[in-house]
Amino acid sequence: MIRVSGLAALLLAASTAAPATAQTSDPAGAPVQALDDGLLAIMKGGKALGISGRSAKIAPVVDRAFDIPLMTRLSVGPAWTTTAPADQTALVAAIRKLTIAQYAGNFDGWSGESFKIAPQVETRGTDKLVRTTLVAPKGDATAIAYRLRQNGGQWKIIDVFYQNSVSQLATRRSDFASVLAKGGAKALVTHLNQLSAKAAN
Amino acid sequence: MGALGGASGLALAASLMMPVAAGAQQQAAPAGVIAPTPLSRAAVSPAVKATRTAHFKGDPLEGLNRKLFSIHTFFDRILFRPVAMAYKAVVPKIIRGGIRHVFSNIGEPVVFVNDMLQLKPKRAVRTVARFAINTTIGVGGLVDVAKTNGFKLPHHSNGFGNTLGRYGVGPGPYLFLPFLGPTDFRDLGAAPVDGAVLPVAVGFPFNRIEYQIPQGVLVGLDLRAESDSDLNALLGGAVDRYATLRSAFLQTRAAEVYALRHGDGASANPLDDPLADPAGGGGTSPEMTDPLTDPAASESQTAPSPSLSDPLVDPAAPSPAPGYQTGLAGP
Repeated sequence: MIRVSGLAALLLAASTAAPATAQTSDPAGAPVQALDDGLLAIMKGGKALGISGRSAKIAPVVDRAFDIPLMTRLSVGPAWTTTAPADQTALVAAIRKLTIAQYAGNFDGWSGESFKIAPQVETRGTDKLVRTTLVAPKGDATAIAYRLRQNGGQWKIIDVFYQNSVSQLATRRSDFASVLAKGGAKALVTHLNQLSAKAAN
Repeated sequence: MGALGGASGLALAASLMMPVAAGAQQQAAPAGVIAPTPLSRAAVSPAVKATRTAHFKGDPLEGLNRKLFSIHTFFDRILFRPVAMAYKAVVPKIIRGGIRHVFSNIGEPVVFVNDMLQLKPKRAVRTVARFAINTTIGVGGLVDVAKTNGFKLPHHSNGFGNTLGRYGVGPGPYLFLPFLGPTDFRDLGAAPVDGAVLPVAVGFPFNRIEYQIPQGVLVGLDLRAESDSDLNALLGGAVDRYATLRSAFLQTRAAEVYALRHGDGASANPLDDPLADPAGGGGTSPEMTDPLTDPAASESQTAPSPSLSDPLVDPAAPSPAPGYQTGLAGP
């Protein structure tokens, strides 16, 4: 019963971290390394940067590391094909905004944490899995793994796993399904933007 | 960040639990087992009626569960959380930690019994060693010395729900119970077994309601307080809190049972398993089981589902999705 961990980390509530030590030569390791470095930078920037400063700093990192459009489509699922192009665009933008807002909101301080990237990168079909560990000076390590797929010659993150068990994508699908079914893409965009606004204050 | 401690994301789930139930001997028993079943069917069909939110596979009682979740949320807001946070604010950290450790230590025999039932002798031995060390050097469990570098015997959770899962019992329908949190039929049914171990084997004081209620309250308060930040982070980012918690719980339980069924360490490194071809669907490694079919890539027969175990067929998407045109992803 003392399982005091947190799926929170799924949302990367981890408000901490130190220089990411990369030990993989796999090309899929690069975006993960870039993300970890970016997160460390905003953590260290902390309060001085402020939420807007952290957002501005992490935004280009997110754009480079993640395949946000694909993550959006996967989160929405088959309903995507019947979604109007304008709504699709709005959804992608909303997911991007939320991703940035959550990182900027959650990674707001640094107290000695660091990321370790596992040297071995696993491959299945078109995808690769890069494992990392968020190490905190106090407390247990948190496993965070990234699933990547190539897009236009670049490896991009398409899913994030917390503690080897909880997929962000799977959680989002579940999260979005009901709103999509009831209110469609527009309702989801509205909800997502509200969450971003909340995360950013 | 501190709250990121513990083990499984179950905590998250567990954090919603207030094991007030007398029988809830440690382990928040229900936090039990998994749902390897594919969750979403309905989500899959674009033709889902707008009027009715189709429930997920694995959650046939969704309507009832959502009502119970609202009730729990209400009481959490006006009662559980305020009291738990007050407990955290008033009682010094070291005392709260001591109380937590004592009850966790008292529960180690239950962990041991389940280790044995699961035919995991090495784990059982570690559990015994841990219990012995903490009970003696750790002063009746007050201090978790077994976890430290000298011994390297951290606590691991275990319960009869895990044991059933290990031998192939499915989770059954998902349940959300006020005061207890997320669970499923199997875990709920298994909880009394764990709860009976100490009362039956030891008797006094574990068989007394005068012991059980304070224990349930203290453990529940502490868990609620310790999980607060994680819970906020998970649910604060959710469009649909009920569905998000359910998904996190089911995935966590699925991973735990998966690890038990596939040998020691499987949880730590599930990708030791062969990576299944997306189209083949048969993969064993949780992280890669779902081929993540791009819905924009024309028609796919298979539907994406929230469950990890759901094999999604990759339609092999050659055509870029409209969404790509936004250029937001940047190179």
